[in-house]
Amino acid sequence: MRVTWEAQGGQAAAIRLGLPPKVLNTDALPESTAGELDRLVAAAAREAGQERPSRARDAMSYTITVEDGGRSTALTQSEAAMSPAFAALLGWLEKHIAEQ
Amino acid sequence: MTRTSHLHCIIPPHLLEKLLSSDDSEVRQVALNTMLTTARLRGERGIRASFAGAAATPGNGRRTVFDCQNGTFLPSAVLARSEDGPESPDDSVNRAFGGLGTTRDFYKAVFNRNSIDGQGMRLDAFAHFGERFNNAFWDGQQMVFGDGDGRMFSDFTGSVDVIGHELTHGVTELTAGLKYHNQSGALNESMSDVFGSLVKQWSLKQSADEADWLIGPDIFTPGIDADALRSMKAPGHAYDNALFGRDPQPDHMEDFVRLPDTEKGDLGGVHVNSGIPNKAFFLTASRIGGFAWEAPGLIWFESLKASNTETQFQEFANTTYRKAAELFGDDSTEQLAVLAAWQDVGIQISGILAGVARVRSLAADRNGGAGGDKGMATVSRQLGALAAQVTGLARDVTALKGK
Repeated sequence: MRVTWEAQGGQAAAIRLGLPPKVLNTDALPESTAGELDRLVAAAAREAGQERPSRARDAMSYTITVEDGGRSTALTQSEAAMSPAFAALLGWLEKHIAEQ
Repeated sequence: MTRTSHLHCIIPPHLLEKLLSSDDSEVRQVALNTMLTTARLRGERGIRASFAGAAATPGNGRRTVFDCQNGTFLPSAVLARSEDGPESPDDSVNRAFGGLGTTRDFYKAVFNRNSIDGQGMRLDAFAHFGERFNNAFWDGQQMVFGDGDGRMFSDFTGSVDVIGHELTHGVTELTAGLKYHNQSGALNESMSDVFGSLVKQWSLKQSADEADWLIGPDIFTPGIDADALRSMKAPGHAYDNALFGRDPQPDHMEDFVRLPDTEKGDLGGVHVNSGIPNKAFFLTASRIGGFAWEAPGLIWFESLKASNTETQFQEFANTTYRKAAELFGDDSTEQLAVLAAWQDVGIQISGILAGVARVRSLAADRNGGAGGDKGMATVSRQLGALAAQVTGLARDVTALKGK
């Protein structure tokens, strides 16, 4: 499984235009960790959030793309209306890429 | 259901508690529902009471700061500081509180606007949103601050210009209502940078010459090689490093950046093309001199109120030219400064030929405009600027005496 995610918009929108997406490859992770990620992705995919609430300004949105055995799923949510499951997944991804 | 709701009102609490430990699960459920409903009703009564109190006296931009405790669900945030309450042990909370106050006081003192909506709307802010969130945003009703990840960004409560920027989105929404995409969106973003910068300048009593014209210079961590998020004085030059690349903001219409109207395209580049009207404001303020929130700020504020949801750069420029004449007179220094500023960023005020505009603004320069530094005309203009500053100081003293 390969997870890429990127942030868009926000106060630093112009900076983010130039930043590449972050990538996490689960093949490199221990099995228990990969299992954790599976569960977080499934939970995030189940809960609804919003791409962009119409009155939000300078809010960032995050797109998390999961590629698994030829299938690709993309989830986009705004930080102005983010489901707890999506926030948990995002937090987990940020933490693990920081450790790499 | 009506029969049981009657019972909700007359079962005393101690009896309800007994029912909660009943062996019968249905009884337990009914008791639980009753307690929850009562609690909710009590809460609502409390809220209604506080509304009644609030209606009696105007809001005057009462501030409340909440702590999200690194969560992302705003209703779960805890109260951290209220308008009349003590300082918090949390610095972020205190900075957010201070920034809200400075912005509120700026709008009141400079434009006689009572809070964001002009009617004393309460100002709420949420600090410590999410984990290491690199952002601050306006959610349509209130401000939300992240802590930054400590690598790229530090705490977003640190910059009063960022706070002014976010709250100004509320002002714009309730005045022109500039649609947040493409040119109207870039104008919307520019309004927030203009008034956000003015809040900072006003709080520091800086003239246009003394101001840094940077948005968010305190946001980056010390290790990051960047001046600020954006520069109004030099769009495109706020940063240029290996991590971010180069600041993509244009400072002229010929360099307008065409981006798709999508999240990925920054909604048509609203944070990118704002560089053009930002530069126009900076040039206007530099040419007029003195405090930028006085003449330039007033022209821009009146023009914002005269704009609408679809206003593009050209129409806004025309409005500023017209407002400058209404406020300061035809061919005034102020109006000519506006004309020249827009011309410098590639926008000709409609109905005025480019050549004529250049001649008029050069004439203004020769007669002691911002470019000149010799002659009686310059001296008398500088005396005029000093007189304006003294008037401003006198106003401040009066205001302080009145407190």
